[in-house]
Amino acid sequence: MQIELDLRGLYCPMPVLRTREEVAKANIGDLIIVIADDPAAEEDLKRWAKRAGHEVVNVKREGDAVSVSIKKLV
Amino acid sequence: MEERREKNEKKVSRILYIQTSGVDTPERLYAPFILAMTAKAMDIEASIFFMIKGITPLRQGVAEGIKIGNFPSLKEVMDQAVKAGVKLYACAQSCELLNMPKTDLVEYVTVAGAATVNDLVLDADATLCF
Repeated sequence: MQIELDLRGLYCPMPVLRTREEVAKANIGDLIIVIADDPAAEEDLKRWAKRAGHEVVNVKREGDAVSVSIKKLV
Repeated sequence: MEERREKNEKKVSRILYIQTSGVDTPERLYAPFILAMTAKAMDIEASIFFMIKGITPLRQGVAEGIKIGNFPSLKEVMDQAVKAGVKLYACAQSCELLNMPKTDLVEYVTVAGAATVNDLVLDADATLCF
């Protein structure tokens, strides 16, 4: 399943905390696409995902926002 | 996975420097760059995370005007550190607080947040705070 999470307007550390909540609810193998405009989001989400044992499969910049696609692995 | 990650990352030592001092205390600004540059010369990975007032020297044009004693300008030292491979991070919330958007920062800084600081601290063999 693919889940889109629009976190534009939220600032550090909220994008990471909201992503964590959503990933916890998802099933293993699901793809969570996080869209955020917090300038910290890209680096923070990549590091959070790695530490939490998930895989960042795609990072795309869209103007001021970034879209980080995370595959739930555990 | 965690075991493999630790094994891979233990090959090289890492030091993280956290800079919280700003342009109002220029004598505190050089040490992280000098130490990090020296770390790289010792084959140690080095990163500097700038937060709170620590981000103030990262505004474009500011470090050029800071010079103490016989040291070169702070910008020269900063450029040398980056050239040596030192990674620079700036706290996004501090930038927001002090009205310094990403476009105002020196170009080689990565803007990051709380998760990145925690991750860098855990990955480092030692963390020094200025």
